[in-house]
Amino acid sequence: MSGTLVSVDALALLPALAPAAGAVLVLVVDALAPRAGLLARLLGFAGLVAGLVGVVLPLTSGTRIAQSLCTPAPEGRCFYDTGTAGLLLQVGALVAGIVVLLLLRDHDTEDSPTPFGLSGDPRKPTDTELATMSSSGLSGDPINQRGPGQRGGVGVTTALVLTTVAGATTVAAAVDLGTWLVALELATLPGIALVALRGTERAAHGAMSLLTTALLSAAVTVVGAALWLVATHDVTFSPVAAAAAWANTPTRPALILAVVLLLAGLGFKLSAVPFHQWTPQAYAGSSVSVAALLATVSKIAAVAGLIAVLRAVVGLAGPSGHPHQLALVVAVLAVVTMTLGNVVALRQDDVVRLLAWSTIAQAGWVLLPLAALSDAGLRSAATYVVAYAVASLVAFAVVPFVGTQLAAYGGLLRRHPLLGGVLVLGLVSLAGLPPGILGLVAKVVALRAVMDGGLWPLALVAVANAVLGIAVYLRWVAVLFGDPAPDADPLVSRRGGRVGLALAAMLLIVTSVVPQLVLGLLA
Amino acid sequence: MALTLLLLVPLVTGAWLVAGGRHISERTATLANLGAALITLGLAIAVAVARPTVDRDWLPALGSRWHFGVDGISAPLVLLTAAVGLLVAVHGIRHTPEGGAPSTFHGCLLLVEGGALATFAAADAILFFVAFEVVLVPMWVLITRFGDPHDAARRATAGARFVLYTATGSTLMLLGILLLVLRAGTADLTALPAAAAHLPHGTLVLVAALLTAGLAVKVPLFPVHSWLPPAHTTAPTAGSVLLAAVLLKMGTYGLVRLPLATVPEGWATVRPVIAVLGVIGILWGGLVCLVERDLKRLIAYSSVAHMGFVALGLASGTRTGLQAALFVNIAHGVISALLFVVVGGLKERWGSVDLSRVRTALREVAPRFGFVLVVGLAASLGLPGLAGFWGEFLAVYAAWTAPAHVGLFRWCAVLAAIGTALAAAYALRVARLVWVGDRPTDAQRQASTGVEADRSEQVVTLVLVTAAVVLGVVPQVLLTVTDPAVRAVMGR
Repeated sequence: MSGTLVSVDALALLPALAPAAGAVLVLVVDALAPRAGLLARLLGFAGLVAGLVGVVLPLTSGTRIAQSLCTPAPEGRCFYDTGTAGLLLQVGALVAGIVVLLLLRDHDTEDSPTPFGLSGDPRKPTDTELATMSSSGLSGDPINQRGPGQRGGVGVTTALVLTTVAGATTVAAAVDLGTWLVALELATLPGIALVALRGTERAAHGAMSLLTTALLSAAVTVVGAALWLVATHDVTFSPVAAAAAWANTPTRPALILAVVLLLAGLGFKLSAVPFHQWTPQAYAGSSVSVAALLATVSKIAAVAGLIAVLRAVVGLAGPSGHPHQLALVVAVLAVVTMTLGNVVALRQDDVVRLLAWSTIAQAGWVLLPLAALSDAGLRSAATYVVAYAVASLVAFAVVPFVGTQLAAYGGLLRRHPLLGGVLVLGLVSLAGLPPGILGLVAKVVALRAVMDGGLWPLALVAVANAVLGIAVYLRWVAVLFGDPAPDADPLVSRRGGRVGLALAAMLLIVTSVVPQLVLGLLA
Repeated sequence: MALTLLLLVPLVTGAWLVAGGRHISERTATLANLGAALITLGLAIAVAVARPTVDRDWLPALGSRWHFGVDGISAPLVLLTAAVGLLVAVHGIRHTPEGGAPSTFHGCLLLVEGGALATFAAADAILFFVAFEVVLVPMWVLITRFGDPHDAARRATAGARFVLYTATGSTLMLLGILLLVLRAGTADLTALPAAAAHLPHGTLVLVAALLTAGLAVKVPLFPVHSWLPPAHTTAPTAGSVLLAAVLLKMGTYGLVRLPLATVPEGWATVRPVIAVLGVIGILWGGLVCLVERDLKRLIAYSSVAHMGFVALGLASGTRTGLQAALFVNIAHGVISALLFVVVGGLKERWGSVDLSRVRTALREVAPRFGFVLVVGLAASLGLPGLAGFWGEFLAVYAAWTAPAHVGLFRWCAVLAAIGTALAAAYALRVARLVWVGDRPTDAQRQASTGVEADRSEQVVTLVLVTAAVVLGVVPQVLLTVTDPAVRAVMGR
């Protein structure tokens, strides 16, 4: 045997490694110099930007698939492979991470001196607890209602965000079961900590439900992975091994069960119905920035996980029969998820809950093209989730300025045209209407895969849901265009939020003008 | 260049006006709208004459290109849109409704205009869909924010109904477009007919059915027309004008451009259904107009009837029918704009246009408005010599001479002819109630001053009356423009 055992393209690994390394560095800095918040934050940004560089540099040379950790030919395979959609998902996760870090800046005002912020006086009525009271209508301090704090200090928060991003970027390129499982949990668990670190009772409830579902989904996923191993005798999501297991009558049921269990496990993370229960609680309990993280980076990680599994399955249709069972499972998940999400979102008066239910509805849209079990479907799902992430980041970024009650948005376009205008753009993009061209293109892309797969009933349900979704978001837009409430609270000025919002808005505008920027990242 | 500017000028100015909100004064907004609309009309004329094209990469992943161009079918509609855009801008000098920032109102008008122009100029099926959707949000804002100031709840429902109905339609249409583009392998509207010719019959029928079902909402055809009357009733005058003169045309234009031109074989299967629905629309609209009490709603139902003639013409499958449909399209654009300016103006002054309320005769208190109303009604009932006549006459003739399903189409022709009689009946009813009225006492005359058309309304209605007369007297102006394109579409 000559040469190295495994060839490593370090640059290709950068999107996964840089955020992880950044997280470690941030923690070290935090331990050595707890007060150097600025340094920790800068290191955090540096980690994410380095990750982006790792994606963008290969792009300039025209590659759309990054591979690394490859064993030598002839039967060489790569254990780090972004596939056709991985790069797009990695960019999405990294950019969303940067925006969330910027948004989190506003929560650092009450850093506790101890690293984890848990040894402070637990009964001191902090701003955050007042926030809980006021958001449940008991007291009306407007600032706290909008800007609930985040305990744990800059270092810990930043490290947790970076870890989530690292998990997402790794899942997007994971090939073997082990990396896939670990990376998936890496993208989930820090989110629980971030929710809990808000330190309020509601946050504790949210974190608790998130934790329970995360554990349950981890268990289901692990069983699914084990079954996959049993069925395919392979520790990777390999199309070849999957095809062999599919062709073999005794192992076929095991393979189907494995994929269904993996889908169920991922359904928790994607908040697909019936695994969605945690979503509204966790979003409403956490600070808005953390909710934005859960809605974007965690969702991207879940989609990346789904694509990794389904990538191995899409080739199954062939002489030994189409995997109808799997397509049916995905289709039913998609239909139920988008319908329930939209219907419940239509009745929400708390915008964070509205966004939570809209996340659920959008998860259905992400699943929709996957039901086609085609490569085009996988790419469509990736496109859709990234488009959703960009648009919802804008919506989440506006919330801290105005508040969580829908009525507080009355006449926002008149009170603050820029803020209102940006929010309108985000909402119509989520609804998939111009001027939110990005959302419209994402919808076209998703429906295209469905039509290509000839899934008629699914397409018609999607039409109904597109209209329902429009009703959901226009209800909010109508409030923005409406008259200001007479007792409207003044808008809050937030420095960090402003930068984060500006970045998110710029991303949405640029990708709406040139949607090819998103679609072009696909192979 | 002219084509790019044609789309950019209204869209960018509109976006700027909407974004500016209350920082832009009413005067600036009005002037900006006027200026942009004037430039757009100039560009539209240039584009209609020179027929340039723009063709660039846009979304290779979807097989969609940034491809715009005009031909004989779209050029008249581009001109109509630009002209109506300018007219509503002129109308807006004196009539900027309450309900929001004036600049938002003017901006939304321009955005609707720009979206409609993009729809008519799009030469790529996916791009057509995107442009088709552009008008939705600004029109919704016009209805819900600037509509009838008396009833906020009704405004909200009318706006929501408009958006949800038309979005359902356009998403269905999108399914048809996607299926067609996927199977034919191109999204280029000029290349699609040839590329789609080899597809299996079932696919062609399915595509035609999806496209037609989707576009039928926008036209609107009979069972899916119920969004139109509330939208028209609550929209501000300028919004009603744009809705009737421009937005409905996007539906009929889509029918010509997509199912009829790209999948003629599938369209042939769907045609009889469309003819029947069109005729039901003609009769239904006419009958409702005989009893409807709200004048604005009455005009809206008459639109349903007129659009029925377009559908009948298209469905006949003859060259004459297509010519007729395109003619009714333009004629109805002119006539409905005219009627909505008058009726909207009356509603602004009277507060309501309930026909059951006895009012002083319009001919006495507002002779100019009265004259325009009578001309509009005469054109609407299809009086020879005015714009409404040729298209409807030709549509009935085309249905009578349809090559296939002869029996069915002859019945349709007969019933449509009865529909024109209904049109005469309701037009005369309105004329009797509003225009003839009772001779007013002096006290009434005193009380009803200020009803007469103001300067901007006079200009707008004068232009529209002239257009209605010109189209009625020399229909060749339009028919010669559309003829080559019609031959190209129907020649195969």
